[in-house]
Amino acid sequence: MIRAAILFLLSLLAAVPAAAQPVTVIAVPPLATPSKGDKANEDLAIAWQATQQIVTDLRGTSELMPLTPKQKDVYSYPEVTAPSFPKWKAAGAKALVTGFVQTRDDGRLTFGCYVYDVASGRELGRKGFVVAADDLRRAAHRCSGLAYESITGSPGMFDTRIAYVAETGSGASLVRRVAIMDSDGFNHDYATMGETMVLSPRLSPRARSVAFVSFSGGSPHIRILDLETQRTNSLITGDPISFSPRFSPDGQKIAFTMVQGSNADIYVADAAGGPPVRLTTAPGIDTAPAFSPDGKRIVFESDRSGSQQLYVMDAEGSDQRRISFGTSAYAAPAWSPDGEYIAFVARQTGSRRIGIVRADGRDERIVTGGVTDDSPSWAPSSREILFERTDGGRPSLLRIALDESQPRTMTIPQPGSDPDWSGVIE
Amino acid sequence: MRAWIALLGGLISTAAPAQEPPPPIVPWVPVEVLRADFIAKTGGTMLYFGVNSALIGAPARSMLAAQAQWLRLNPYVSVKIEGHGDGGDTRDHALALGARRAAAVREALILLGVPPQQISISTWGSERPGPPRAEIKLVP
Repeated sequence: MIRAAILFLLSLLAAVPAAAQPVTVIAVPPLATPSKGDKANEDLAIAWQATQQIVTDLRGTSELMPLTPKQKDVYSYPEVTAPSFPKWKAAGAKALVTGFVQTRDDGRLTFGCYVYDVASGRELGRKGFVVAADDLRRAAHRCSGLAYESITGSPGMFDTRIAYVAETGSGASLVRRVAIMDSDGFNHDYATMGETMVLSPRLSPRARSVAFVSFSGGSPHIRILDLETQRTNSLITGDPISFSPRFSPDGQKIAFTMVQGSNADIYVADAAGGPPVRLTTAPGIDTAPAFSPDGKRIVFESDRSGSQQLYVMDAEGSDQRRISFGTSAYAAPAWSPDGEYIAFVARQTGSRRIGIVRADGRDERIVTGGVTDDSPSWAPSSREILFERTDGGRPSLLRIALDESQPRTMTIPQPGSDPDWSGVIE
Repeated sequence: MRAWIALLGGLISTAAPAQEPPPPIVPWVPVEVLRADFIAKTGGTMLYFGVNSALIGAPARSMLAAQAQWLRLNPYVSVKIEGHGDGGDTRDHALALGARRAAAVREALILLGVPPQQISISTWGSERPGPPRAEIKLVP
């Protein structure tokens, strides 16, 4: 009886979600300017826009909570490098991000960003750079990234891009295009025009190109679009059945699945083109490869044991080891940018959810509660996962922070699936 | 679409095996007509599978035998076998499973005497919902 009561109490404890990470309150006073006279007013207007962007960026995180700035609280240029810490401490801030903007004679903008620990007055990070006048948003993203990284130790996700498959129409008239946008939804554009079905867009680490699966010719094969030149090339000559492309962390190679005979195996090839090198030879289906952040290992799924499980191997194909042993079918692995975790899809009868497990197979847990969740992709911070959920036949993109219980739906112009999050562009 | 294709060998007379090279003058027949003939003589274009399986069951085998015979009699008609994965499967595994099903059908047809160059394969994974299946399509 007592034992049963203890077990009941333990089960209650187990049901309590892990404590949320503490939120750091950060002061974001209006950026200052060293400019004088009329130019000062113009530059202060630009600085205010950048300040608002930084606040929006930081408000979108689950780790930082920005204090709302007031435009009339003009922040003097000397204060940027000599802040009045007691003032921010009194306001409840633990951290401070500040900086300046100045228009140069050539029309470009000089940006300076500084991050401080308010309690100690210590500078946590600083960054200076020059951007084109129309690149103000990205400049602000870089300041936000500096603040996020200085405080959390993880790269920020503000100066990053997201690719996904935009889906319009339905049934026989379903059109799928590769769409690419900034991670906050701005600069949304279509990289393919819908003339042929596409799947699995995967951005190169700095989002300079996108690999995707095209069904032109009626059979899936991998193509690579250079986003600067807009040129598209086949990854493998002759376009054999191939899919699930994934760039190596240095952007030089692509791991993918190719079907030879009836067998799907993992291969790797130069992203610029070149002969494929086979990495797996098991008679089962080996697919969905993803590199570790150091590029030395690859995680993939295989049904060689009779059910879909996760395996890790060296990037040359040696030392293949199974790391998942649960009752689910494990699929679509993605290695976190900090190297700690592997996200995956756990499929059981009637449910398909996203889970994470340590790279050595320990500490497996499910993080979403959907029945149709698929395609996990990590935020550069390794603290959030972007994934796809289909509801009522319409796929959408959701973000879930690993210490939050509820995912947030991303706003995109139409239904979308199969997302991929780039690394930091800068 | 008015895709036209040369009709040779057994469409006119399915009894005659296509041992001879094609006659110099052949009628042109739309692929839709060939397809209707294929279905009429073989029973259909769809082959169904068990969940997560690429094994060809007994009902599919008898249909495959008829399909192989039709293809042997029409050696200038190419087919593409499109495999599909299971509903609810993850994207990449479904693509691989669809390819495996298509390859299983191709292997079976080759074992039944159809020349390999007459048959190509593809996969749609789970992108075209429906039961676990492979579809034989006449290539226009």
